[in-house]
Amino acid sequence: MLVVLLAVVFAAVRLLPGDAASATSERGEGAAGVAARRHLLGLDRPVWEQFADWMTALPSGDLGTSARGERVDDLLAAPFPNTLLLGGTAFLLTVAAALALGCWASLRPGGAVDRLVTLTSTAAFALPEFVVSVGLLLVLSLWTDWLPAATVTGADGTPASWTMLVMPVLALTIPQTGWNALVVRAALADQAAAPHVEAAVLDGLPPARVLLRHALPGALPVMATGFATSTGMLLGGAVVVETLFNYPGTGTVLAGAVADRDTPVIAGVVACAGAAVSLVLLLADLIRARTTGARP
Amino acid sequence: MNLNRRQLLWAGGGMGVAALLTACGGDKESATSPAGDGGEPRRGGTLRVGALGRASAITRDPHGTQGNESDYLIISLVHDTLAAPGAKSNTVPRLASGWTSSPDLTTWRLTLAKGAAFHDGTPVTAADVVWSLRRLRRTPAGSARLPGIQEDNINADGEDAVVLVSDYPNAELPLLTRLTTFVLKKDTPDKEVAKAPGTGPFVLDWFRGGNARLVRNDRWHGGRVHLDAIEVTMFESPQAMTNALLSGQIDLASNAGAVAARTAAARKDLQVVRRPDDMAMPLVMRTDQGPFADPRVREAMKLVVDREAMVKQVLSGYGTVANDVLGTADPRYAKDIPQRTRDLERAGRLLKEAGFDFGRTYELVTTEDVPGLADSATLFAHQAREAGVKVEVVKQESGAFYEKTWLKGDFYTNYWGTNDSVVFFASKTMVTGAGQNEAQWSDKDFDAAYRKATAAADDTERATALHDLQKLEFERSGYLLWGMADGIDLAAAKVHGLPRLPGYGRVQLEGVWLSR
Amino acid sequence: MTAAAASPPGSPHPPRPDPRRALRALPALLLTTLALAGPLLAPHSVDTPVTAPYAPPGGAALLGGDQLGRDVLSRLLHGGSALAASALLVAVVVTAVAAVIGCFAVLSRRLGGLVERTADVAILLPAVLGVMLLAMAWPGGGRWTVVLAAVVLGVPYAVRVVAGAAAPLATAGFVEAAAAGGEHLTHLALREILPNLRAVVAVLFGLRFVEAVYVVSMAGFLQIGPQPPAADWALMIRENAGGILLNPWAVVAPSITIGLLAISVNLATTARPAAGARRGRPDVSTP
Repeated sequence: MLVVLLAVVFAAVRLLPGDAASATSERGEGAAGVAARRHLLGLDRPVWEQFADWMTALPSGDLGTSARGERVDDLLAAPFPNTLLLGGTAFLLTVAAALALGCWASLRPGGAVDRLVTLTSTAAFALPEFVVSVGLLLVLSLWTDWLPAATVTGADGTPASWTMLVMPVLALTIPQTGWNALVVRAALADQAAAPHVEAAVLDGLPPARVLLRHALPGALPVMATGFATSTGMLLGGAVVVETLFNYPGTGTVLAGAVADRDTPVIAGVVACAGAAVSLVLLLADLIRARTTGARP
Repeated sequence: MNLNRRQLLWAGGGMGVAALLTACGGDKESATSPAGDGGEPRRGGTLRVGALGRASAITRDPHGTQGNESDYLIISLVHDTLAAPGAKSNTVPRLASGWTSSPDLTTWRLTLAKGAAFHDGTPVTAADVVWSLRRLRRTPAGSARLPGIQEDNINADGEDAVVLVSDYPNAELPLLTRLTTFVLKKDTPDKEVAKAPGTGPFVLDWFRGGNARLVRNDRWHGGRVHLDAIEVTMFESPQAMTNALLSGQIDLASNAGAVAARTAAARKDLQVVRRPDDMAMPLVMRTDQGPFADPRVREAMKLVVDREAMVKQVLSGYGTVANDVLGTADPRYAKDIPQRTRDLERAGRLLKEAGFDFGRTYELVTTEDVPGLADSATLFAHQAREAGVKVEVVKQESGAFYEKTWLKGDFYTNYWGTNDSVVFFASKTMVTGAGQNEAQWSDKDFDAAYRKATAAADDTERATALHDLQKLEFERSGYLLWGMADGIDLAAAKVHGLPRLPGYGRVQLEGVWLSR
Repeated sequence: MTAAAASPPGSPHPPRPDPRRALRALPALLLTTLALAGPLLAPHSVDTPVTAPYAPPGGAALLGGDQLGRDVLSRLLHGGSALAASALLVAVVVTAVAAVIGCFAVLSRRLGGLVERTADVAILLPAVLGVMLLAMAWPGGGRWTVVLAAVVLGVPYAVRVVAGAAAPLATAGFVEAAAAGGEHLTHLALREILPNLRAVVAVLFGLRFVEAVYVVSMAGFLQIGPQPPAADWALMIRENAGGILLNPWAVVAPSITIGLLAISVNLATTARPAAGARRGRPDVSTP
């Protein structure tokens, strides 16, 4: 699956106007110089050959060389863990918040809480990360000075203080929580119609207990898929959020690499991100298999 | 957010503040406190600097393709170039203490500074300089970095002098050694270049992901360094950098831009440093074919633009009006050429004479590479409409722009993040057959004036030729240069001795000190 | 918002015209009308500087000036129509395509497998990167690039949703009976299954619209699609982010309108906030 995606990435970058040799050239570099670097970077070879080379080196952990001659693994060594930290924190927070909100809303379908949660979730999910980021920046930092506005790293390449994580994490979490709260809410509503839940209700069990003991387990597979879907969105959102908060992660690397037509770097980021998402999907599948006995 | 910055390393010299402080539209704030106030420099402290850069474009090689201001800043504090941009003249000594030339201006001899040593204590020799210059010349962009100087014509002359022989007479040769002539130890292997000892005012403590810490070099040949250390943080966007400065996370935001300056202007605890003549953002009109081939059409466009409005709206007033001649801070810039102003009537007449097609819509291609560039195109399109010329702005992403439009398009915006000498721009962008002749301009009179200016040993003769050259550029070239943007750095009030030169002069932080 | 009374357990919800539905659709209608008629109401043209860059509200500009000193309010009134139209187009196309493919997918094992695989790949590709690559490969496309990218990236997920909802129907008695009766696959999918998914499709459309607003505005923010000097809400946020402290309205106003647009249309399409409209389903709660 990932291989297909990476091949698509290689082909797509090839379709873009310009290539790495010209995109990273200095003004003043003559055509001969660009041609020489094109050869140096192996851009004059067929795209499938470049892809094959890159893929064969991959298992040994070698991600190739960037258009500017830096090793891609060096370029990603510091940012990738940072993005995992950011994305992971946002993911856990999203799961917790979405479950809490979704369950709270389904205790009284159609009730005031349900409406409120549905409405705010829709609103939150409708707001792109950059809108949320700008709002957070304005309120929590620039007007009040409560939180540092940008991320500054220490000698080890990680954020110098945990307070720098708060806003980027929130910016990623809010839209995703909106989406997942709706998914959880819908999954639980579906479960409510299931015979064993109806039976539990007729037995006169308290709603909270029905929810936790009877409805939630059945809703797990749908919710797991929803959360897995979120992982990809989190990584996409990271591109914008990291740039706005100057968070030293892979999102910023990716944004720049696309501008530079830097195929090995783009592919490297996608490979890392893809691996992370695949892992979450695998977990989701395992949960589905455990709860339903087989893949639907 | 700026997803695709792409800088050029043609740093600017110039004469700095004294020159050309003409009226700035709508500017209420005074320029910053003069350098050297705050009394006697105090020793000690760590300066936290923010500089722009992209994680994907990090380059550690001093002779590599530096796209990041942050990388260039770090490299130029650790390593020395032979010469540097200066305030009084375009070029001042740095690792080279002086230079002399042969009467025909082809052979130049540069002497090394006394007591210059690498950070590990080894003295710098002519062999190190020759090796570094040759390494620089061998890079793909080498022919543009050291134009007219072949690799074999870079040689040592004893222990402390280097001789460069140019293919043609070049009165401005030392100018070429101001930017990227970083000197490393002879035979430094490519793998170790990133950590190689330099000769500069600071020693690299650590570097990680674009950020770095540098500590003072107590034995620097160039004089006393006051700061204990400099911490450089790389920022992807000017906004993030400004926000960090506003919330006190950094002490200096290098090249932050006009909007940031206005944001900071109201704050007592911050200072705004304006470096005039920092960035040219000309509109380029192709001269050999297309709708602008007729010089009357080009002149009309230069009369259509409302320069004051451009400076006021695009640069928020942080800039100066220009006169279609590049190199505004050059001591030899022709200030006596009358300033062109808006004249729609005359523009209309010229366009009619030239048989200009008013029915067509003309595309003006622009990029977002530097703040304000796309805005300038947008505003020009609006001003052109008042003259009955329909202009449509097309924004291209940086990579596509350099591939398709630059040097080829009929009508596009461009920028030079430097304010170099008049001769520099002439040789790079206007002489027939120049590698980056952006408007494809070819003018016999101009070429003759250029040849005279670079080969004349006599100073008066050169001055006359340079003046003729600028007059021709003003009248006929494909450049519409409406203004020059100030370079703007923001700093906390406690920072003193900040650099004031345009272009890459901003990296000279060795004189900075902090008051309590 | 008035709180709807929780329906008594076990009571069916016959599809009757609901006066509240009209109310729900009101904000969307208002906002859409405003977005489309905005240009007529704007006091200034979108590209004329009327004040200083980032001038605070007051005088000629009710919401102040943007980065070139143009009137924020006028640009706000001009900047919604294209975004709303693009998002609407994406939502309609994705929903329609997904509904049809989803219904077929549950009837054909091979197609079902293919849908699963495609969706898996689509999940691995961050939407932002997909839009970026597509936009660069087709730079002249403008808004159509974004619409295409949003459709391509949106369909796989949506198909999964439809297929998930249709799966129980495929094994339902009436469909099996029709299949046994020798009905054609197309007939089964479009005549037997699809009509029974009306509620799901309506909810899906609402969500897709929100998603489309998200993708289109994200693309606008990344400068893909709308080009200056065009006024566009997402573009305004990006262009004016630098001056947020000088004139917050230049950024805050378009942020609010983007949020409102998504919410109001979503309200209009969801008949009930609960994923209800399933006949005879009791609620989890006890009254």
